[in-house]
Amino acid sequence: MLFAPPDPDILARRGKILAGLRGILSDGVVSEPAGLAAFDGDALTAYRQAPLACVLPRTRDEVSALLRFASAEGIPVIPRGAGTSLSGGALPRADAILIGLGRMNRIVEIDLENRCVVAEPGVTNLAIGRAVEKDGFYYAPDPSSQIACTVGGNVAENSGGIHCLKYGITTNNLLGVELALPGGERVQLGGKTMQPGGLDLLGVVAGSEGLLGIVVEATLRILPKPPVTRTVMAAFRDVPCAGLCVANVIAAGIIPAAMEFMDRRCIDAVEDYCRPGYPRGAEGILLIELDGVEAEVTDAVAQIEDIARAAGAYEFRAAADEAERARLWAGRKAAFPAMGRLAPDMLCMDGTIPRGKLPEVLARMAELSERHGLGFCNVFHAGDGNLHPLIIFDVMKPGELARAEEFGAEILKLCVDVGGVLTGEHGVGVEKRDLMPLMFSDTDLAQQGRVKCAFDSASLLNPGKVFPMLSACVEQGHMHVTGGRVPYPNLPRF
Amino acid sequence: MAHFAIADETQLVEAVRAAREARAPFEIVGRGTKRAYGRATSIANTLDVSALSGILAYEHDELVITARAATPLSEIEALLNQRQQRLGFDPADWGPLFGERANAGTIGGALSANTDGPARLRFGAARDHLLGYRAVNGLGEVYKAGGRVVKNVTGFDLSKLMCGAMGTLGVLTEVTLRVYPRAPESATLIVRDVGTEDGFALLRRVWSSPFEPTGLAYIPDCAAKPFALGDCGQGAALMRVEGAAEPLKEKIAALRTLLKGRALDRVDNGEAILAQIGAGAAFLGRDGDIWRLSVPQASAASCVERANAPIWFADWAGGLLWLGLPATSATALRAIGARAGGHATLFRASAESRASVPVFQSESAAHATLTKSVKAAFDPLALFNPGRMFEGV
Ligand SMILES: Cc1cc2nc3c(=O)[nH]c(=O)nc-3n(C[C@H](O)[C@H](O)[C@H](O)COP(=O)(O)OP(=O)(O)OC[C@H]3O[C@@H](n4cnc5c(N)ncnc54)[C@H](O)[C@@H]3O)c2cc1C
Repeated sequence: MLFAPPDPDILARRGKILAGLRGILSDGVVSEPAGLAAFDGDALTAYRQAPLACVLPRTRDEVSALLRFASAEGIPVIPRGAGTSLSGGALPRADAILIGLGRMNRIVEIDLENRCVVAEPGVTNLAIGRAVEKDGFYYAPDPSSQIACTVGGNVAENSGGIHCLKYGITTNNLLGVELALPGGERVQLGGKTMQPGGLDLLGVVAGSEGLLGIVVEATLRILPKPPVTRTVMAAFRDVPCAGLCVANVIAAGIIPAAMEFMDRRCIDAVEDYCRPGYPRGAEGILLIELDGVEAEVTDAVAQIEDIARAAGAYEFRAAADEAERARLWAGRKAAFPAMGRLAPDMLCMDGTIPRGKLPEVLARMAELSERHGLGFCNVFHAGDGNLHPLIIFDVMKPGELARAEEFGAEILKLCVDVGGVLTGEHGVGVEKRDLMPLMFSDTDLAQQGRVKCAFDSASLLNPGKVFPMLSACVEQGHMHVTGGRVPYPNLPRF
Repeated sequence: MAHFAIADETQLVEAVRAAREARAPFEIVGRGTKRAYGRATSIANTLDVSALSGILAYEHDELVITARAATPLSEIEALLNQRQQRLGFDPADWGPLFGERANAGTIGGALSANTDGPARLRFGAARDHLLGYRAVNGLGEVYKAGGRVVKNVTGFDLSKLMCGAMGTLGVLTEVTLRVYPRAPESATLIVRDVGTEDGFALLRRVWSSPFEPTGLAYIPDCAAKPFALGDCGQGAALMRVEGAAEPLKEKIAALRTLLKGRALDRVDNGEAILAQIGAGAAFLGRDGDIWRLSVPQASAASCVERANAPIWFADWAGGLLWLGLPATSATALRAIGARAGGHATLFRASAESRASVPVFQSESAAHATLTKSVKAAFDPLALFNPGRMFEGV
């Protein structure tokens, strides 16, 4: 991927732009190289680019003023939460203002009567749950990055987590947002009600990756904690057997709260890292969490044990107590850092496939790995077929990044071929932008592009992300992108 | 005035292109059960899409179904039933309220009008179920959005936009929905003779409990008759829970503990009663206008008191209020809704009323501009149901 050349006209106006920004924010304008280096990318670590300036507003009025200024000056804007995006969603450009929302980190209201929390965008995901836990509630979407990632980033990426199988991803737990539009005006979409009126603009803002507006407040649904929660672990000597077990659990009409898979490489890495007590030597394990009333959980555990054993599980055990349960999950949540110790670099893929295709896809990924000469491991949200193959490579070795990306693209192509999608929860960003034609035709993409234009006619918000096209906001204009070829091939792109 | 009927998607594209040439908008009609819902329009032409019918793929072990958009809901539900599965948004049958046949609506109509029923409380709205779709846009192009898997964030989530859009953004041709397993049993419990405030508080307590209720309604005395619940005193709080035999017993026992001191009876025909609640049965056989107020649950009692409707009832633990009040109550009701952080919809009224009184609550200036731009992004020449939602949308 190449970086688009920055707009020389904007770079030339840098002094004036900084002065303008300082006129809006008395503190919180970062412009010196050392300061900007802290904002030069996200968790898609292969790509780095410092922005022209970074601004850290404290209020929604400041966000509006910054947007008004940027739009009057024609400067691109990149919204940023905690920078944990795995798809390069928060990757800056040299000619753009990065708006970091981290200082807007107040919980505005905890409304237990209406079962919701109203929060500013910079509040972390974990803080929402923490704020209501003593009252017996929790916030369901729980990305593994939850100690760091923000509510605004969650809305923009429509993030999921371990407990999304039963309770849905961000969009299903989001009641409303206040959105600052590119020109600075703000609109309230949704609220505390169950059925918003008018067009469901909230629905398209969730997962819009910072392309449609900046979320300055979100209203989130909280759920009552289930009375009983039990975690079981099933170990398999063969990866496709674990896949079969997953498909059969779902087919039996059981929707566990969570159903996660880890393969051997990952089990070993995690055992070395934090000793959660996984069986070494297993080719794959499933961690399955059931919740509900006692009889419901007991029934489901018994049924799942039968299904798992029939699929070939050689070990099946339930966590004996809360401490063991916490340990089992701590291992799962530590999968990324544990793998990180083994590999200089990792590429985390995120395709979703129909659950019935798990055995086939898992087997074919192993073949692909051999063909590309790159190792990988699998740790993923098995219950909803959301794969997270981690490709292991070394950026310092010539050609390995390109090979890793190629391997990744082939995995995603495989996902689409079996009826799945390119990304289940990490977003398209820059990472999968050029793969969008695998899933969508020109016409499909042009329709999405027109929605972008409806919100942001000057294409100033997070440009260069999601769409494999240089969009022009004209009524019927759409550009042709076929077989991965792009318009204006002579223009350098990401 | 012309009536076109298309046989398939190809003909649909031709029809849209012709409409585009002629700058002649049309009203999209499936089986016509909800034609009287929405802002009144005076569109000369109708486009009958009812031939776009048929289930294309039902993968019960993936919990996904794909059907042509005008497939009768009854057909989909019958098929899902065979596998002990259900549409979680619990589409309600509004036909009879509008003087149309019962059980005649299509899946496309249910999605486009957001006919969410009582179980929406637990499983989410229509928009939470539509995983992907095919449609024809106002440029006469067939396009698709979303996918066929539950977890998908690839590109913009246009499926959400199509739900509740009243057909103003395009003609759906195929829809893919997630479905849920249906619990083997359900129980509907009733607390009789509770006043409004008390009743809502009780429902909220159950809503905040972890027993996963799939229906929480309050029926005041004035609306009780059509539900044949026996003597309800001031009013009845109804709650449905589900599960296999043992878990269900446990949930019922837990509710008894939670609501200690209340007499909690089980009603026999709970499923039918909840279906009637979704269908607004309190208003069946009565003339007069109907409003629906969507409000935060904790405001329900005060909204009801202020609205002072002679006949009303509530679903979704108070989140949805059905009110029998004339269209002319618009200003008062909209103020009540807005003050609570919700909004009011003129659900049923004469065409004249629905032309003069905004059916859907109007939006702030910036919001309304955005709505118009989004409409234009799908339908730049305003060919599809123009004005059905707002003036110009
Ligand atoms: C170790 C690790 C584990 C992870 N696990 C998961 C997981 O289990 N599930 C999952 O879904 N994701 C996971 N992620 C990905 C990531 O954490 C999520 O996408 C997260 O929601 C991003 O939040 P953020 O605050 O870091 O946003 P950022 O990375 O700062 O931004 C992400 C995107 O959101 C936009 N954005 C940010 N704030 C706003 C705002 N206020 N308004 C508008 N747009 C905004 C940005 O422009 C960008 O496009 C993981 C990442 C890491 C590093």
